[in-house]
Amino acid sequence: MLHRLAILVFALAFAPFAHADDGDFGDRLAACAACHGKHGEGVRGSEYYPHLAGKPAGYLFEQLKGFRDGRRVSTQMAWYVRFADDAFLQRIADYYAALPPRTRGADTGAAQLTDERRRVAQGLVEHGDPAHKVPACSACHGANLAGLEPGVPALLGLPVDYVIAQFGAWREGIRNGAPPDCMHDVAGKIAADDIRAIAVYLSQQSNVDGLRPAPAGSFVPPQACGSLPHAEAAQ
Amino acid sequence: MKMLRIGFLIAIPFLLAAFAIGFFLFERQGGLAPYRIPKDSGRVVAADADTLARGEYLARIGDCMACHTAPGGAAYAGGRGFATGYGMIYSSNLTSDRDHGIGAWSIDEFAHALRHGVSRSGPLYPVFPYEHFATLSDADIDALYAYLHSLPANANVPPANRLDFPANRRGALVLWRMLHYRPAPPAPAGADRGRYLVDGLGHCAMCHSTRESNGALAADGYLAGGRIPGSGWYAPPLDAKQLQRYSVEQLAGYLRSGASDHGAAYGPMAEVAYRSLQFLREDDALAMARYLKDVPAHARRDGEFTLLPEPPRQAVLGNGADIYKHACADCHGRDGEGKNGQYPALRDAVAATAPDPINAVRMILYGGFPATTAGNPLPHSMPPFVQQLSSAEIAAVTNYVRETFGSQRSQLTAADVEAMHGIVLD
Repeated sequence: MLHRLAILVFALAFAPFAHADDGDFGDRLAACAACHGKHGEGVRGSEYYPHLAGKPAGYLFEQLKGFRDGRRVSTQMAWYVRFADDAFLQRIADYYAALPPRTRGADTGAAQLTDERRRVAQGLVEHGDPAHKVPACSACHGANLAGLEPGVPALLGLPVDYVIAQFGAWREGIRNGAPPDCMHDVAGKIAADDIRAIAVYLSQQSNVDGLRPAPAGSFVPPQACGSLPHAEAAQ
Repeated sequence: MKMLRIGFLIAIPFLLAAFAIGFFLFERQGGLAPYRIPKDSGRVVAADADTLARGEYLARIGDCMACHTAPGGAAYAGGRGFATGYGMIYSSNLTSDRDHGIGAWSIDEFAHALRHGVSRSGPLYPVFPYEHFATLSDADIDALYAYLHSLPANANVPPANRLDFPANRRGALVLWRMLHYRPAPPAPAGADRGRYLVDGLGHCAMCHSTRESNGALAADGYLAGGRIPGSGWYAPPLDAKQLQRYSVEQLAGYLRSGASDHGAAYGPMAEVAYRSLQFLREDDALAMARYLKDVPAHARRDGEFTLLPEPPRQAVLGNGADIYKHACADCHGRDGEGKNGQYPALRDAVAATAPDPINAVRMILYGGFPATTAGNPLPHSMPPFVQQLSSAEIAAVTNYVRETFGSQRSQLTAADVEAMHGIVLD
């Protein structure tokens, strides 16, 4: 009882500091909110900018550093993070990772799939293309495509053009992950029209329940990717 | 034949005059001495821990690394590109590599390059601020040399410069020096520390001065403010009048943190805060602040920033006040008074009062983050409005802010704003 009381007193005593430090951290990120939404949920009707909320902090931190150090090329993002140190970028990553992921599938009718293209996309997302050694998206990003801690992002409800642009960037070496760069390998093996089908399919998936990335180690991706655990290393 | 002889006689005085002027200009830039690379005197520079630490500090304050490192490249290995009015110039490799860096340079050669802007490869382009480094003390040059020689060798070969004729000829630099360069007198012993840092390693005048023709720095433009070549930003004057709002302590704090109650540094100055001035010792920051606040006020240079002539100017003020109320007032206050140290006041802010509207337009278009520094580790950002507001609306709100909070006659049009579109990273 006394123990609990002590904790309560302690918590109350420090609560104002915790608030001053963290509670208004998002106020500092007005520049981010303009494209990614006030709570990192993405901006409705935005054709390009991905959501950030609920993505693994490790993933977001790597991307922010990548924009700063040139491994990932975006003039806009470089403009915002070029003079930011690791500590600040880590705080930004933690902030968005802690927000609830809620994405809604694109419902615009502008990007629709024929039944045949949908089957192709769903097949690649869920089963990959074993004949060409293309792993399923779900093998790394989770059966529910909600991602995997600490480094694999959710794919639910990403904008079509964003996904297509990333595939192009991986292929051309404009977006570079930590070696071994699995997405560079994967992107090079998928035909352009299949990439479009996958992108449209992913954009139509919603995460209305706030599914979070699977805990680290809850499943093991098949392919070597950066420094993340994978099946090849286990063998 | 006779005509030719008469022509020749007439030409003689002109030729003599041209020769005399050439001789005078050549002597004025130091005669032949700058082009004689000194022989290695064999002097060895001590590289003890104290000297290396001092050299590292001086290199930081001189911000050598910022220019001599390519984005994502090895530190000091060169290759960062600079867009000048004459084409692209790439910085050189300063590491201790003997073939590609300056590892084979003697201290005499190093000091000569810093003081005279001439290295073993010929005259250096004046993007290298040798006019400023000329005032460095022997002891400081020794420490810089020791520090740079302690850097791990890196064999990076920077890209070749891509310059237009005649700037692509090193010989043209001799002509440029004849027209625009005067060797700086060495700093008198016991000179003011603040001035030594501002004019020497700090090379503040490279950006904060008004440049004359051919990109030259003239005495009367010293710290008078101007558009920074190639960057799309305006650097304000640094003088008693411009810095009136700051106490010496506030200004020293701004130098070290990149932020103050009067606003934060963005663009090129954010980089200076991030890579260089946040490492400034407090006493040095105070010395610089004291000196800068003592620079005599410059006459304003209004009207030097010409706006686009067409289409016919119809200043958009109209709905600027409304746009301000909806998009800006939440953070910057209804009367531009700012909010509790997090959101800077716009009243009398540089962007509002500068004769050049480009900083204001750039900030409204793209926003940005101030640099993270020890003094400002979690900066507040300014959001971009390029997606929400049309160019006409941005012109209107810029005019409103500059007229209301900066007492500037501001007549930007949508076309002016569009001409300033585009993020400039380097």
